[in-house]
Amino acid sequence: MAETGTTAQNGRADGVFRAALALPGTAVTLGLILFALGLLALLAFRVNDGSLFGAGLTLGNFRTLAAEPLYGLVILRSLVIAGLVTLATVVTAFPVAYYLSFHARARGLILFLVTLPFWTSYLLRVFAWKIVLAYNGVLNSGLMALGVWSEPSTALLNTPAAVVLTLAHAYAPFAILPILVALDAIPRSLVEAAADLGAGPLTIFRRIILPNAMPGVLAGAVVVFVPTVGDYVTPALVGGPASTMIGSLIQAQFGKAQDWPFGAALAVVVMLVILAVILLVRLADRRFGSRT
Amino acid sequence: MLPNTSRRVLARILAAALACTTALPPLAAHAADKLTYFTWSGYELPEFSTAFNEAHPDGVETSTFGDDDDAFTKVKAGFRPDLAHPCYDKVARWAKEGLIEPIDTARIKNWDKIFPVFRNLPDLQAGPGKVWMVPWDWGNTSILYRTDLVKDPAPSWNLLWDKAYAGRMATIDAVHDTPVVAALLVGVNPFDMSPADMDKVAAKLREQRPLLSSYTTDMTSVEQALASGQLVAAMTWNASAVALKKQNVPVDFMKPKEGMLTWACGFVMLKDTPHADLAYDFINSRLEASSGKKLIEDYGYGASTTSAFAAVPKETLESLQLPADPEVTLKSTVFTGPMKQADDLAKMFEKVKAGG
Repeated sequence: MAETGTTAQNGRADGVFRAALALPGTAVTLGLILFALGLLALLAFRVNDGSLFGAGLTLGNFRTLAAEPLYGLVILRSLVIAGLVTLATVVTAFPVAYYLSFHARARGLILFLVTLPFWTSYLLRVFAWKIVLAYNGVLNSGLMALGVWSEPSTALLNTPAAVVLTLAHAYAPFAILPILVALDAIPRSLVEAAADLGAGPLTIFRRIILPNAMPGVLAGAVVVFVPTVGDYVTPALVGGPASTMIGSLIQAQFGKAQDWPFGAALAVVVMLVILAVILLVRLADRRFGSRT
Repeated sequence: MLPNTSRRVLARILAAALACTTALPPLAAHAADKLTYFTWSGYELPEFSTAFNEAHPDGVETSTFGDDDDAFTKVKAGFRPDLAHPCYDKVARWAKEGLIEPIDTARIKNWDKIFPVFRNLPDLQAGPGKVWMVPWDWGNTSILYRTDLVKDPAPSWNLLWDKAYAGRMATIDAVHDTPVVAALLVGVNPFDMSPADMDKVAAKLREQRPLLSSYTTDMTSVEQALASGQLVAAMTWNASAVALKKQNVPVDFMKPKEGMLTWACGFVMLKDTPHADLAYDFINSRLEASSGKKLIEDYGYGASTTSAFAAVPKETLESLQLPADPEVTLKSTVFTGPMKQADDLAKMFEKVKAGG
């Protein structure tokens, strides 16, 4: 069909097609992301005068933030919780992805099972964990029946550990899929060559598979880490007072506390902190990563 | 040919999009005939407004909130329901922000049946014959505790600060509840605090934080945790006491010597609502005796009308610990009125909850 038109016509159609493809993405990026981010950044420098968007310009929000050690503490706590979630997710996701890539026969079925929890609402999954971890829940009853302890433990629910567990479960597919893609891209001939040259399975894993899978692992880690730092639903539902994360504080500024400018300042700082963490990780990966 | 086909496809997509947009207005107009009611979760039950539902089948859409401070921000940020259901301590703020318009008491059929103590609340008055809020419900906040797990506690809010029950207590995550109680305990006026007073309250709240299992407004979870024994005591509203007693859980709703908190809530009409007539119909149906009776019997909250109380058998009122006259209750309780430093208090409470 293409032969019937001239090259110029084709070129123009190509351009129109590309522009049309790029249009939604550009509109979303400009209108929904950059505009919203700009608004947030502007709001962070406003004075809270009781109105939504505040008045004037000030650095006061950031000064309050710096003067109060609490905010640093809560940001740090969020980073630690999100870090633990990322670690747990990646460590458990890797074997699943490895199995899927190298051994699985029923690959379609397992992938389907991995994504299955996503067919239910996130809140339902959180409440499912509540049922497992509750005082009279599945885990407590089971351990009591086994005689591990005689009284139900209150140490399972409403703790930072419960938050880590729930989030790690919720984000598992986000880590499995990128790692799987990276593993699939490893040429099998490399593995065979290494085996021919006398490398044992451990050496092959350490020197061939892991280094080549690292981009997928890092991508998975970022995808899990970034949204979990700001999560506030999970700590509110399964975390006790000791697991208040920065998302809850930000939400409170936009809700009860009625201080949108300060909430915006907190959000901006958290974004910068996350950015710094990711840059550090990338730097470390480039410097110490075993890829050649 | 390729450009031609793609142009044809594009034309078809545009036509489809156009068809969608032209199909939308009737749908939107249909939805617009409904009353939008923004209320506490649990207050949207159709049984509370039977008369309205008969007159306007499927005539109300509800949106719920768990805390009226959050509701206030949501409305301030642009959410436009027709009727909302905040509590008395917030009414002045809603009015001051210009979010609500006065309600004409002449159009409220049962206005005279509302207990004078609620009708005459100062922040309700919006000029002759006009009010900012029509009171509908009132109730108490106190400690609900397991009588088998907490043996004969001293009747005091200090139970929620008792280290013996660390990790097995919960409190309400709302500025008008937990911080007010902390203020009562340190002997500070909860409704007007100096910065020094605020520090005292903060110190008291900080003392409580490590002992708590959670700060929450999710009363269903609290009730379940009390029933299972995970929690032995929690700050709740009286509906939770009624619900657990119905399930035969051994609980008691404490009468603290510092006083229970008593609150009153009601309907406010959002400014320039296009559905004022529907809104008046809705309020009127809620002020019917049968509606208030349902509220008393199901939730154990007080209705605002004398007629509702008259419709409930005396034994039921006694078992619910509701006096036939709210003024009797108010003699021994602390009425939650407007808090002058509500925003500062909210910020302080958030900090304490986060560990600061």
